[in-house]
Amino acid sequence: MSVAGLITRRLVQLPFIVLAVYTLTFILAWSVPGNPLENPEGRRPPAEIVEAMKKQYKLDDPVAFYFDYLGKASGVSWALGRHDRPFDLGPSLKQPDWSVNEILATGLPVSMTLGLSAMLIAVAIGITAGVIGGLRPGSALDALTQVLAIAGISLPSFVIGSALLMLFAVKLGLFPVGGWGGLQYVLLPAFTLSLPFAAYIARLIRFGMIEEMSADHIRTARAKGLPRWKVAFKHALKNAFLPVLSYLGPATAVALTGSFVVEKVFAVPGVGQNFVDGVLGKDITLVMGVVLVYSTMMVVFNLAVDVLYRFVDPRITA
Amino acid sequence: MRLLAPVLLLILALFAAIALDSPLPPAELVLIERSDCYTLDPQRMSYQHELRRARVIYETLVNLRASDCAIVPGVAERWELSDDRRTYAFHLRADAKWSNGDPVTSGDFIYAWRRAIVPDTAADYSALFFSIRGAKAFHDNRTKALAEFARNPRDARELWRETEADFARTVGIEAPDDRTLVVHLNTPVAYFLDLCAFPCFAPVHPATVQQDVSFDAASGRLIQRHEWTKPGRIVTNGAYMPTVWRYKRDMRLEANPFYWGRAHVIAKSVECRTIENPNTGVLSFQSGGADWLTDLGPEYKTEMLAERKAYLARFRADLDAGLARGALEDDVVGTLPVPGPGERRDVRGFDAFGTDFFSFNCRPELSGGKPNPFHDARVRRAFALAVNKQELVDRVTRLGERVASTLVPPGSLPGYPVVEGLGFDADRARAELKAAGFEDRDGDGVVENARGEKFPTVDILYSTASPRYQNLALAMRDMWKRELRVAAECRGKDSKLYKEDLKKGNFMIARGGWYGDYGDPTTWLDLQRRGNGNNDRGYESDEFERRIDDADAETDPAARLVKLAEVERWLFTEEVPLMPLCNYVTVYMYDPARLGGITEHPRLEQDISVLEPRDGVVPAAPAKESQR
Repeated sequence: MSVAGLITRRLVQLPFIVLAVYTLTFILAWSVPGNPLENPEGRRPPAEIVEAMKKQYKLDDPVAFYFDYLGKASGVSWALGRHDRPFDLGPSLKQPDWSVNEILATGLPVSMTLGLSAMLIAVAIGITAGVIGGLRPGSALDALTQVLAIAGISLPSFVIGSALLMLFAVKLGLFPVGGWGGLQYVLLPAFTLSLPFAAYIARLIRFGMIEEMSADHIRTARAKGLPRWKVAFKHALKNAFLPVLSYLGPATAVALTGSFVVEKVFAVPGVGQNFVDGVLGKDITLVMGVVLVYSTMMVVFNLAVDVLYRFVDPRITA
Repeated sequence: MRLLAPVLLLILALFAAIALDSPLPPAELVLIERSDCYTLDPQRMSYQHELRRARVIYETLVNLRASDCAIVPGVAERWELSDDRRTYAFHLRADAKWSNGDPVTSGDFIYAWRRAIVPDTAADYSALFFSIRGAKAFHDNRTKALAEFARNPRDARELWRETEADFARTVGIEAPDDRTLVVHLNTPVAYFLDLCAFPCFAPVHPATVQQDVSFDAASGRLIQRHEWTKPGRIVTNGAYMPTVWRYKRDMRLEANPFYWGRAHVIAKSVECRTIENPNTGVLSFQSGGADWLTDLGPEYKTEMLAERKAYLARFRADLDAGLARGALEDDVVGTLPVPGPGERRDVRGFDAFGTDFFSFNCRPELSGGKPNPFHDARVRRAFALAVNKQELVDRVTRLGERVASTLVPPGSLPGYPVVEGLGFDADRARAELKAAGFEDRDGDGVVENARGEKFPTVDILYSTASPRYQNLALAMRDMWKRELRVAAECRGKDSKLYKEDLKKGNFMIARGGWYGDYGDPTTWLDLQRRGNGNNDRGYESDEFERRIDDADAETDPAARLVKLAEVERWLFTEEVPLMPLCNYVTVYMYDPARLGGITEHPRLEQDISVLEPRDGVVPAAPAKESQR
């Protein structure tokens, strides 16, 4: 199938995948107990007002809410002239001053910056560690990188994050604590977020390198008299990197969407922590909006990786 | 390698994103808050940190002076009270201006107050306006009209025009001219000026707010969007105006150049940063990034307070001498030598205008239809008497809270006597329970009634939002077991579910708490009124309604407070619908050598515009900023 065919097919699938995710999330979010219009602490509006508000937001009728929200979010209502703006993800039920679109517009660039920085760091660390280990399997260096990789995968990010904060920000004063804006705010959280990915990439590369270095074409290259590093980086790594590439698509999506723990620890104003707060507060419009945007992004990312994959390795056609 | 091109592109994009999102220049004053404002619409606010910010963004008719909570002129430069104490005439100052230069008029107040009263706004505090003549009836009429509209829809605008006419005709608020506001009250309300200083009574800029108003064709309700609260559109009349607001990230306040009192605004720019993680908030403060952490969250705050105690103990003599001279504690502490290891002066706990309590379910039946032993006041008294609160405060909560036996925090309201409720008295507790018919008749260690039925297992409901309530519930369970010989079970629930159980009355004893809204005991006592939306206990008593109405009707303000105190004494020695435990302690983090102006007044109405970064330098600049 051609690249254009692949893209077309995925784009046709996209609305169905997103609709399935939307429906599933809606069922889950709707069944969360509680009432988003009520404050967990503080004063309560009179019952009739809560009822009227529920009506206004269609919180009294799941079917009406489901279709109304879907229509507004997808832009169908707008296209039919029933709503004044396209892709309206609604007002946040908990934060009346903010629409979900605004929340995403402020949070998404932050989460993207954090997630993509983390992936870059993960690739850099992962390849370095993987090549070091893969070139000399069984050596002390290899054992060291392996141990670090295991630690990176198994230690939860709130532990690593807090430890890094204590050491580099509080004790050494090298980085600011809490907030966003500027490279110095990005490095620590991005590094924390990158560790499990870096560890996984290191293991993939190490395995690939061990296999590649004993392959025939590598032996040929070595026999031609090419220096060892050139063989490793130019010939072996290129093939060893392919599994990493296919891992990068879902990993990037996970880094973008799964960064809420890191966002909490470092007080990064991204979407992740808003999403968690939305779930806890049953802010159903916020939850649905974030899920819609994220699931769309997920599909697009996977598509991008598949396209990239063919670009790198023309043998792949399916 | 062909792969390098996309990677390079990605790196470039990242650098662009990071470079575009550069931090704002340092503000003169930096606060760290636990949560962002939910709204900047003064009529819809209800959280303390929002109200605190509203106090400096909007100005009400009169202001509460932070240092002593005295009423001082605000937008109104003077006011008169009629002889029957039911009519206030406020005279607005000529130089009261909105941040766009428009004058603040009496019409702006009427517009704001009307939107606070109409049910469409769903303002949490609309009931505070019901002392104004006709306001309650107007609210109810609109509610009825909307219900009728839902059955027979017509033109929503037409209904709104009728509502406006109804308001102008029936509600006792008038504007004889742009600079005079006359308010008629149902009855003399001793604390009405205090209410007028509450941020929900602040004016809004009608031309700005009105742009976001539309009508819901199906329900007839006003739909009020809130896009106007964003910087760039928001128009304010207070000391500051928000110039940047990034959701759950930060808000920048700049001094309002049109504010009449701008000369008294100390910090010209304020950054309010949101850090939800309590631990990160502390680390951020400690790394020098902020002047004031407004709510110290982590559990280890007890240890931090102990370090302050150790520091003060070393300088006890200097502190006592300073206090004897009449200086504030902060002013003395700020000039003492810097703390040594294991000491600190940058935390301070204050008794808050709030009381922690456990509610008794006072309904005749439990939610399952079973008879409720706590319907009997003797049982409630027994349970309240059996709790050693001092022990709870010393060993469970450990913040040095002041034990409470009544709701109103002592010393918070001038002229209001200190009221004593029930203390710890295990013998009397057992006697009360016996009088209610429960004693250990068969010697099995559990009390029974005359028919031999065991006292039902006491169901203690608490929210799991903080370990504080679990610890308290467990400790009290043991106390009741020990002193009263009743079995009890603790039931922790997530806040949402806890709230639902409270509303349904599905508990015997439940965690509660209350912060006062305005400077009058009724902000506390009204909680027990029949039909009050926050009367979780389902307490209903004609006797109480009669007593509180009698006391409230007293026209002499001093005598009225004494009578209300008597009602509170009766309530907490006889009726005991809830068991007060202690007054909340609010813990701030700030170094008095670097920040002045924090008030010690028990109502803790902090005024951001009088906070003073000290040392002559701009202390808010984080150390890292200068290194760059």
